[in-house]
Amino acid sequence: MSHNDTIPLYQSSQSDIDEIENMMNGGGFQSGPGTVLPARPPSPTRPSIPVSSSSSPFVQSNLPPPPPSSSSSASQKVTPVPAPPSLPPSVNFGSSEGSKTTGFGSPPNTLTEPVWDTVKRDLCRIVSNLKLVVFPNPNREDPGKALRDWDLWGPFFFIVFLGLTLSWSASVKKSEVFAVAFALLAAGAVILTLNVLLLGGHIIFFQSLSLLGYCLFPLDVGAVICMLKDNVILKMIVVTVTLAWSSWAAYPFMSAAVNPRRKALALYPVFLMYVSVGFLIIAID
Amino acid sequence: MDPNQAPVENYANPKTCLFHVLFKGAALAFYILSALFFNSFVIIFVVTVLLAALDFWVVKNVSGRILVGLRWWNEINDLGESVWKFESLDQESLARMNKKDSWLFWWTLYFAAAAWFILGVFSLIRFQADYLLVVGVCLSLNVANIIGFTKCKKDAKKQLQQFASQTIASRFQSTVQSAFTLV
Repeated sequence: MSHNDTIPLYQSSQSDIDEIENMMNGGGFQSGPGTVLPARPPSPTRPSIPVSSSSSPFVQSNLPPPPPSSSSSASQKVTPVPAPPSLPPSVNFGSSEGSKTTGFGSPPNTLTEPVWDTVKRDLCRIVSNLKLVVFPNPNREDPGKALRDWDLWGPFFFIVFLGLTLSWSASVKKSEVFAVAFALLAAGAVILTLNVLLLGGHIIFFQSLSLLGYCLFPLDVGAVICMLKDNVILKMIVVTVTLAWSSWAAYPFMSAAVNPRRKALALYPVFLMYVSVGFLIIAID
Repeated sequence: MDPNQAPVENYANPKTCLFHVLFKGAALAFYILSALFFNSFVIIFVVTVLLAALDFWVVKNVSGRILVGLRWWNEINDLGESVWKFESLDQESLARMNKKDSWLFWWTLYFAAAAWFILGVFSLIRFQADYLLVVGVCLSLNVANIIGFTKCKKDAKKQLQQFASQTIASRFQSTVQSAFTLV
């Protein structure tokens, strides 16, 4: 059951009683026994640690099948979370969604699956995320859904690749070029995300980092082309095209996240960052 | 051989333990020794961060599962909210986990984080901002794993207690009910 249960930092026995009652009533509308209900009205603005327990880990530690989303929305106050999760910055490389395919009552097979399955799952996720973000597809109209399974491996590879390409193309000061490129992209992504959040937008921190990283893919392609051919005119054309492509890729997600009147405020810095990366690519000699 | 003596527990999953330690150790060793061999910061950065990222993935997805039976991840639910999920094996499997394995798992995690922290302090003292970047990335990856697994363990314990209390309560309930029906 995927609900964001912000448990306040004191324990109350109300939840246990509710849980027992639920068990006796045959699980109620929850699709798993022993799911922890938010027995007190969840107040997401309280500075508590949002911990979400998975459903009972003893019979099966998996999430129950997809229908719970409607019941979970009924069981909690529907206030979109405006602040980033107050958790420490857990960089979630290759987060495995795991259990959506298993039925209720089966053994925890994301815990016991072979390693190769995990690797394959993560690789497939990277590819699908890339396709969702960078290439035109019907899901772009619903940005929240598109990057649902964010991961940071893709962005990591793209940023490192871009840094390496720039560093390779540079004839002097290779190390500094790489460090600058990496720091610029990483810090830029963080700052852009904070910008959206401070504008009152609704976006998940890591989802946005992941998105901005995936949108670097066109610039990677542009950097490779510029590395291979050293013609200035060609470089400018290539960079302009890839820059436009990157901005187009990032646009729906960013614009959907903020108030329409503040769209430009959120999008302009993104564009600016990509422009500066583009200049880096052109200027590298 | 003394029949009363319990057999000494060995590592139950030696290969997993090895991999768990391998990437961490390789990242630390490479970072420390590379200054002797490589002059290029780029290579040091890329290789160290790559090893650290691989280590993060291995710990999170493989050794966490196999050595201590825990797993954590993050999801976005349909409301667009970020949800942290924890998964743990059931009670009997957890009890059956090899003690040596889990000791190794936790203590190498803490040790690696401490080592990166110390290296970070060194590079701070020497005012090397770029090396500080490397150390920062590796440290944050390690700390993320530590926090994730600690939360997962706490969550597992909490589930255990709740399960125990609700089993007791439901049994009590059924005994009381059956007592009343008899009367």
